[in-house]
Amino acid sequence: MRLHPGIFHMATVLPDITVDAEAAPVKLRAAKREYPGALVVVEGIDGSGKSTQLYLLKRWLEIGGYRIHFTEWNSSPLVKSATRRGKQRRLLTPTTFSLLHAADFADRCERQILPLLHGGYLVLADRYIYTAFARDAARGCSPRWLRNLYSFAPTPDITFYFRAPLDVAVNRIVAGRPKLKYYEAGMDLGLSLDRAESFRIFQERILGNYDQMIETDHFVLMDGTVPVNKLQKLMRQILGDKVDLAQFAPNKK
Amino acid sequence: MTPSEKNGAAIAPPNGRRAKKPKKNGRPEAPSRFYGTPLPGVKLEELSGTLFVLEGTDGSGRSTQISLLTEWLESEGFAVQTMGLRRSFLVGADIDALMAENSVTRTTLSLMYSTDFFDQLERRILPALRSGLIVLADRYIFTLIARSAVRGIGRDYLHGIYEMALRPDLTFWLNVRPEIAFDREFKKAQTISYWESGRDMSLSNDLFQSFIRYQSLIKREFEYLSKRHGFIELDGEGSVADVNRVLRKRIASHLGIRSTHYQPSHALSHLWR
Repeated sequence: MRLHPGIFHMATVLPDITVDAEAAPVKLRAAKREYPGALVVVEGIDGSGKSTQLYLLKRWLEIGGYRIHFTEWNSSPLVKSATRRGKQRRLLTPTTFSLLHAADFADRCERQILPLLHGGYLVLADRYIYTAFARDAARGCSPRWLRNLYSFAPTPDITFYFRAPLDVAVNRIVAGRPKLKYYEAGMDLGLSLDRAESFRIFQERILGNYDQMIETDHFVLMDGTVPVNKLQKLMRQILGDKVDLAQFAPNKK
Repeated sequence: MTPSEKNGAAIAPPNGRRAKKPKKNGRPEAPSRFYGTPLPGVKLEELSGTLFVLEGTDGSGRSTQISLLTEWLESEGFAVQTMGLRRSFLVGADIDALMAENSVTRTTLSLMYSTDFFDQLERRILPALRSGLIVLADRYIFTLIARSAVRGIGRDYLHGIYEMALRPDLTFWLNVRPEIAFDREFKKAQTISYWESGRDMSLSNDLFQSFIRYQSLIKREFEYLSKRHGFIELDGEGSVADVNRVLRKRIASHLGIRSTHYQPSHALSHLWR
């Protein structure tokens, strides 16, 4: 029987797998660039200023006419109903919470991010896989298991990590929001009966997990306490240094 | 209830690694109940129940056998819980909706199935096992791994996701040739479904060819999984009564049931062809 030639491109080799607990850390595949696009992501805890900064960067590039696309975490319509049901009824365990978000991310990755990267776009992502690593590990998922779960994701060209002191970040969120949501505040972990307090402890754990990735995942550290316009200037500068923007400029192509 | 009774050593791959020859100088270590990292928050000593898995392609007769085994076990005084694909409250219906569209991609679908699996494992199977029930699984991680693997998702990736799954006490594989499976499935529905025939993979425009090719690929995955995970392979082309007799014998010896006598009730007698 003739088999379709494309089927086995990833699966032909029987892998020599050890499924042996926490022993060996999963190696991140050396990112082999197979696409002309570029991927720039921002990460950091809630209230660190990352979304504001990415918005300003996006506006700057949009106004300049660059070939860009903006994508954010947890926005795929395909799995939205499941996520909503799970959250409303509080059905999610750390494992199913993590898997559902991974399914959501996979949808965005396969239907938006990868096609756009292959199509030569500069893709800007508000939160990326590191959000899942930091947050789901804070919920008790195995970091090794998480790394494997997201191993299909392309490695970013730049990861801006916005870091603000815990109190500054937490106060920005708590002051601006009437009520913290159940999972957002980490209430499922039973850290505290007080939502604001639970949120604080949860964010502290996430912050710790982020900090551990600064070196291993080559984060570009951004000080979230610097005035917005100064930080934005720095961000644009770094982008220009690390990514060949001319490639995405309007007169190109 | 340990799997070390009769067939334990041959069934469970030692130490959660891929099946290796046991060392000459000693018996293999007792297998963990998880393949790798255990699910967070599970105390293994609390799990007093037993998990039996029936695997096999569409048309291999799994569901029929599960109905019969449930009745037999209940008549022997064992409480039974069942599980199957797309039955989770969390995402079962969502997967149906995704599959009805043509926009879902392979990784998303694969991960939605994982969510469905772990939701059932954590909310249905583990509580049942804690209460000492017998769990009969109509398919398990192996079908999910096989379906994704033939679509080009790496086997190491898939095993990595399901390493938090509970290792079954016994896994039966009802092996049937794709041609026989086709006959049975066609008889049931007078047609063959889009996913059963793997039409998302563009194997052939002819439905029969597509079904045979797809199921052959799945079967090949199962042959690999069978070796790696020590399936008990059964001839799924035998009569319902014959297959059921073998299943009862293996399960009875695992549970220490003396008599394997069973005659289906009137309600199920139509299955006993």
